[in-house]
Amino acid sequence: MKRVVVDPVTRIEGHLRVEIKVDEASGKVQDALSSGTAWRGIELIVKDRDPRDVWAYVQRICGVCTTVHSLASLRAVEDALGIEIPKNANYIRNIMAASQNIHDHLVHFYHLHALDWVSPVEALKADPAAVAALQNAVLEKYRLPLAGPVELDTDAYPKDFPKATTLYFKTIQDKVRKIVESGQLGIFAGQWWDHPDYNLLPPEVHLMAVAHYLNMLDRQRELVVSHVVFGGKNPHPHFIVGGMPSSISMNDMNAPINTERLAVVDTSINLTLNLVNYFYLPDLLAIGDIYVKKGYVDGGGLAKERVLGYGDFPDEPYTGITNGDFHKKLLLRSNGVVENFGQGLAKAEYFNLEGKDYADPAILAEGVEHSWYTYPEPGQDVHPWAGATEPQYTAGKEWKNLDEQGKYSWIKTPKWRGKTAEVGPLARYIIIYTKVKKGLIEPTWAEKMIVDQIEAVSKVLNAPPEVWMPTTVGRTAVRGLEAQLWAYINKYYFDKLIKNIKSGDTAVANTAKWEPATWSKEARGIGLHEAPRGALGHWIVIKDGKTANYQAIVPTTWNACPRDDQAGYGAYEASMIDTKIKIADKPLEVLKAIRSFDPCLACATHLYDVQGNKLSIVHTDPYIKL
Amino acid sequence: MTTGTSLWDLFEQKSMSRRSFLKTCTALTALMGLPAAMVRQVVEAAEKKALPVVIWLHGHECTGCDEAFIRSVSPMASDLILNMISLEYSDTLAAAAGEPFEHHLQETMKKYAGQYILAVEGGVPTADNGIHCMVGGWPFLTVLKEAAAGAAAIIEYGSCAAWGGIQAAGPNPTKSVAVSDVVRGKPIVKVPGCPPIPEVMTAVVMHYALFSQLPPLDSQGRPKQFFGNRIHDTCYRRPFFDSGMFAERFDDAGAKAGWCLYKLGCRGPETYNSCGNLRWWNGLSYPIQSGHGCIGCSSKNFWDQDPFYERLPNIPVPGTNANADMVGAVVAGAATAAVAVHAALSVAQKKSRQTNEQADNVRRPEA
Repeated sequence: MKRVVVDPVTRIEGHLRVEIKVDEASGKVQDALSSGTAWRGIELIVKDRDPRDVWAYVQRICGVCTTVHSLASLRAVEDALGIEIPKNANYIRNIMAASQNIHDHLVHFYHLHALDWVSPVEALKADPAAVAALQNAVLEKYRLPLAGPVELDTDAYPKDFPKATTLYFKTIQDKVRKIVESGQLGIFAGQWWDHPDYNLLPPEVHLMAVAHYLNMLDRQRELVVSHVVFGGKNPHPHFIVGGMPSSISMNDMNAPINTERLAVVDTSINLTLNLVNYFYLPDLLAIGDIYVKKGYVDGGGLAKERVLGYGDFPDEPYTGITNGDFHKKLLLRSNGVVENFGQGLAKAEYFNLEGKDYADPAILAEGVEHSWYTYPEPGQDVHPWAGATEPQYTAGKEWKNLDEQGKYSWIKTPKWRGKTAEVGPLARYIIIYTKVKKGLIEPTWAEKMIVDQIEAVSKVLNAPPEVWMPTTVGRTAVRGLEAQLWAYINKYYFDKLIKNIKSGDTAVANTAKWEPATWSKEARGIGLHEAPRGALGHWIVIKDGKTANYQAIVPTTWNACPRDDQAGYGAYEASMIDTKIKIADKPLEVLKAIRSFDPCLACATHLYDVQGNKLSIVHTDPYIKL
Repeated sequence: MTTGTSLWDLFEQKSMSRRSFLKTCTALTALMGLPAAMVRQVVEAAEKKALPVVIWLHGHECTGCDEAFIRSVSPMASDLILNMISLEYSDTLAAAAGEPFEHHLQETMKKYAGQYILAVEGGVPTADNGIHCMVGGWPFLTVLKEAAAGAAAIIEYGSCAAWGGIQAAGPNPTKSVAVSDVVRGKPIVKVPGCPPIPEVMTAVVMHYALFSQLPPLDSQGRPKQFFGNRIHDTCYRRPFFDSGMFAERFDDAGAKAGWCLYKLGCRGPETYNSCGNLRWWNGLSYPIQSGHGCIGCSSKNFWDQDPFYERLPNIPVPGTNANADMVGAVVAGAATAAVAVHAALSVAQKKSRQTNEQADNVRRPEA
């Protein structure tokens, strides 16, 4: 049995360490640890601050998914204060959320994940003419020609096709060759390029993907133009409690939003559709097809057993989340839990989640059995509204190996009815697919598109959903499908925005409850959002106009959490254990499984006041027994 | 620090014309805020200078600065990463992970000792020996000090590296500090912003790549080219301020008309940054243009200068809703005087904010 440490796990946001125990003879991972190695304490920092400011602080939980914590925070504050945002603000936020998610997925696939699958070294062996031919073949075979309800099509024709010419691919290949031959590999240095998995794809696929890696590095910025127009910048665009700051006027020439600004957003949305339809999805399915046909259907882990989602994209304004109105208005009802999807649809079980459930300690709670925190009542899990954060660091100043018997991560372990669950695009797709196929809901157009996508891919891969979906490949593939869906959701809400402005409604903010004097003395709110990495929830308690308590359970807390002896393994750990590796010292397969979650660790911080008591921080010195 | 290749070498290798090379140099000169007379020197440097080796470390951060960086257009981030610098260590973009990655860092530090640029993104937690941020089994504090020892120059990228950032806001649970609080004796440039405008960062790197030295800095260690003005000085809504035309509430008639956001808490009058000049996304917008006041994200300790929607103290405001003709008639007199007084007062006003900061520390005691 060999113990292997990978630290830092790169191409992520924040700091992550994994350790695995491998049986070298069989390549089977016997045990795995996932540890979040940083703790920043932002929830503690927002305490006592103006609830109207909190979105800006918690936005800095993550600069990659730069809007998501703001959205959850705004929804939590608006839920607490009973603020209903105007239609336009709802559409604009939905456009920003969709743009965010597509951008995140695309950058993750090409820039943070692709180098696990494709190699610049292998790309040097390709014949550029064959790559040009392959590019066209891939488009022909793997493009999913599905479309959402586009009413206002301002694109004359798709502008951004891949350059499927021999010369283009030869130029890229020459450039890469120069870098490789110089020995100065820069960002490509130090990787296990000799790993046998890099031989699974033909050299032509490697060169095509490397070319698109470079191309996308330059194009990705154009996908989040809506953030710059509506929020002033990206990362970290601006919002306000009660709506959006970007006033709309078709009469004033200095208006933040007018026809010209809307046209800029429209161009970006059209480009997004093209990039997803003509680059991202075909590339992804071409690679995924080869992997699945060669039998790479491991790495599913917890996804086979339990996935969880909150649902998102309120189609029209809603009066609140805790009162249940939010979930009645959703375009994407991925709220709920599905168990045992890995055993096929017939055996999959669905459990609903909505409104009041998010306030129920029996349904949602967090434990700290293996996390560097201590609870007032040891062994007792707590709901986020009553969460506690007292650090109890137990490792030393230098790490050789972490102790899986004891505490080993700055991440807590969130639980649904006492059990761990996986969240993310794969979870959302499994939940909606199950709900629709079992006839539990009449699908919206978006939900129908999800089912169509899953069935189309099952046909391409020649495997049923329960075989290809809960796997490393499936987690990655579904992210691409979701990017396509969200590109149409983007267009859909842009159409709604235009139609609404055309009807004469230009309101973007409801400022009736802007002044703290209009708020009740004490209020509690919940903010939910389906972030790129999965179900995100923020919980706030407001007292006397100030933030009394704040807690976030972020998607990465669900996925990257340490094990719990009752609840089971976290999703990262379970997926590693479910992965077979070829060379113990070069566990590329395990990194692939981890990165298929789009790991994002800076968010996984936890801090909370105990039931309104004075907060205390314990500085633990590993060398002094306290 | 050489990879033996200059910018001109790269243009030649790609069979690009001398003319396009000169155009690029002219654009770079302008971007770096240098006078046109400097074009010749930029060209000379671009012909001869080799690509600098860059090591990029991540401490307590959110990766927003990385994300901003890859959105740079002039120069494009891809060109910078693959052509203009040699990025040898980056948590976000590097292919490798774990032991081989750390090994490569050690090799790079040894091979280019005293020659590489160290870019740092994020604050440095110092509480409890730095155990709140571990990288490769070591506290980030240790890794940073080791990498800084052999650096030719250090770039503090973003407000976290430059000032401590969000995690250093009261009560600063992890005792996070700026890089320059724990590293001494090296040339350091601060590029604050949450995140910085990408072109500000890429231009600082370019400046070093071409001239082998940091750009001219102000008294706080920021490049003068980008932090020489307050946002207020170049704000496109400034005429409305001078005319006393303000948005009073979000989404009111003034907000729709694009009037000044000072009364909604805008920090433009005391924030030094390039948002008014460069804007974001090649001039597409910036927060004030999109209707939200500046929150002062490039200022020291701005997180503790909340609440954000309260108007700044001690800024003399011209009379409200002045008639445009009247303002036009007195512009050479009163309005100009107001500007001068305004600028002079910002110093006094900064001081009063510092007093507030101390008060704030009292408000947020560390347990």
